[in-house]
Amino acid sequence: MTALAASFKERAPQRYALVALGIAAAFAVVAAPVLAPNTYIIKIGIMTLIFAGLAQAFNLIYGFAGQLSFAQTGFWGIGAYVSAIGSQRLGLSPWVCLMIAPVLCLAFSGLVGIPALRVSRAAFVIVTLALTLLLQLVARNWTEVTRGPMGIPGLPPLSISIPGVAELDGANPFHFYWIALLLIAPLLMVLYAIMATRTGKILLAVNQDEALARSQGIDVVSWQLFAFAVSGAACGLIGALYAFHLSIIEPGIFDMYYTQMLLIIVIAGGAGHFWSVLGASLVFTALPELLRITPEWRLVAFGVLLAVIILAMPRGFGGFLEDRRLRQWRRRM
Amino acid sequence: MDFSLLGQLLINGLILGAIYALVAVGLSLIFGVLEIVNFAHGQIFALGAFAMVALSNFLGLPYIAGVAASGLLIAIVGWLLYEGLLQHLKSGEFERGIILTLAIGMVVQNTLLATVGATPRYIDFPELYSRFEFAGMGIEQLRLTAAVIALVVLGGVWWLLMHTRFGMAMRALAQNPLAATIVGMNPKRVAGHAVILGMGLTGLAGASLAPLFTVHPLLGVSLLFKAFAIVIIGGLGHIPGAAVAALIVGLAESFAGGLGSTVLQDVAVFALMIVLLQVKPLGLFGRGARI
Repeated sequence: MTALAASFKERAPQRYALVALGIAAAFAVVAAPVLAPNTYIIKIGIMTLIFAGLAQAFNLIYGFAGQLSFAQTGFWGIGAYVSAIGSQRLGLSPWVCLMIAPVLCLAFSGLVGIPALRVSRAAFVIVTLALTLLLQLVARNWTEVTRGPMGIPGLPPLSISIPGVAELDGANPFHFYWIALLLIAPLLMVLYAIMATRTGKILLAVNQDEALARSQGIDVVSWQLFAFAVSGAACGLIGALYAFHLSIIEPGIFDMYYTQMLLIIVIAGGAGHFWSVLGASLVFTALPELLRITPEWRLVAFGVLLAVIILAMPRGFGGFLEDRRLRQWRRRM
Repeated sequence: MDFSLLGQLLINGLILGAIYALVAVGLSLIFGVLEIVNFAHGQIFALGAFAMVALSNFLGLPYIAGVAASGLLIAIVGWLLYEGLLQHLKSGEFERGIILTLAIGMVVQNTLLATVGATPRYIDFPELYSRFEFAGMGIEQLRLTAAVIALVVLGGVWWLLMHTRFGMAMRALAQNPLAATIVGMNPKRVAGHAVILGMGLTGLAGASLAPLFTVHPLLGVSLLFKAFAIVIIGGLGHIPGAAVAALIVGLAESFAGGLGSTVLQDVAVFALMIVLLQVKPLGLFGRGARI
């Protein structure tokens, strides 16, 4: 016991440093539009926020619930199309679209999740992938609604004005960053709350040993469905938000590119770890932009990196940190 | 009802199905033996088509020779991929296999995009563009040749699996890896054979279809969706199942496209898969992994 207490005392300075770092990071995230020198940098900031949200949504279903889903890109595309069709063609308020998108994706992911989760792990992967590819084909071919490959341009800006407090103009990327932060930050908190509490532990238990979890009275399929639906709704919301950033939506929104980005972020960061995945979303979104590599070579590099990580370090950076922490803890004991 | 239209749709569906069968059998073979769902399958298909472009446009090989040579080239690619990467996966690491093959697909596709570029390429075989006409139905010689090649190759694969030690070892390993190892088979070698054969078939399919399409690096993406649907419908890892399901999907697509619309065509395949999974979660012929 004393050894353990001592170990905590020893680590106290480390903890203060971590808290200080956290406060500095939070400050930088909130003040980014003031600190950013130009539009290019702030747009990278917006993409980082968007991928941070998406990556955590994917982390919930893959890292925690252990279901490799390719449908998340599909849900995010649905969200984007809800924004585009709702605001541009039906004349709804952008904020109404932002509310419809997650609800629709929640319902839709439930609808797909129930049959898909009944079958084997392999079939789940393939059904979810087929769903996303199908959605892309529908977006491309159902021209009456989606205008096909021409896409839906000219989405209205997502603006917010609270008299006397803030006037944020969605057409201005510096303002859009704050609007995005206003939506993504609470979303990340909700996802963190799910992952860090009992629910996250239940999901991890289901992931590690389905039979054992079932023997403990855990309703495996219901929890998997819960993770799938929450993750789907989150992706829908982020997709709806992203649509207003792009202001044009075309079938490319369902591209495998987004799935590949999510995979590299979550797997390099460490599936099932919140903070290292958050860090990885910054690294993998911002770094290639700053290094100015062409998109094709960037994906070649990501592919090589993904192959190396999955062969050499399948639990990612988060797994590496966890192992190190456990080793130190054992040594202290 | 217009019978010549129905006949035409039937012929189109069967030809489509025969070619899908090549791709799906390759996918099913790799899954059956290695338990890896090959997510690079679409890119391997595209690579086959590009090999065909190179061989016929630059070396001037005739159609059949070009198809055979492309198949061989892609089989070699499969061998390299197995020796370099896939053999390091252990059994039961299902997600790792998917992610690894997806990474391979990313590298192949984007290397093609970065080097060859996204401009579509064409292959011309003027002597194969004539049409056979009978009773109001028509069929292009090129499509017919591609379908015949597919059927001959599928017959060959069937013979390999059923009547040679090479093929029987693959079936044995798929049915019972432990027993296969006990009687002295080398699982790594047999798995390597399955990857070589599976990828070679897909490359061959890509090459045989190349003159029908414009060839570009994203060629295989939409095909992958169908190949996966076929493999699920037929039962994962069940090879005759994949072939039968390929015919069903080819026909369903042809009729849905001909009588309905192109949107319906793709939705039909997906709906077929979802409904079937509810009725028979292991697919039409699925009894676990079995070839």
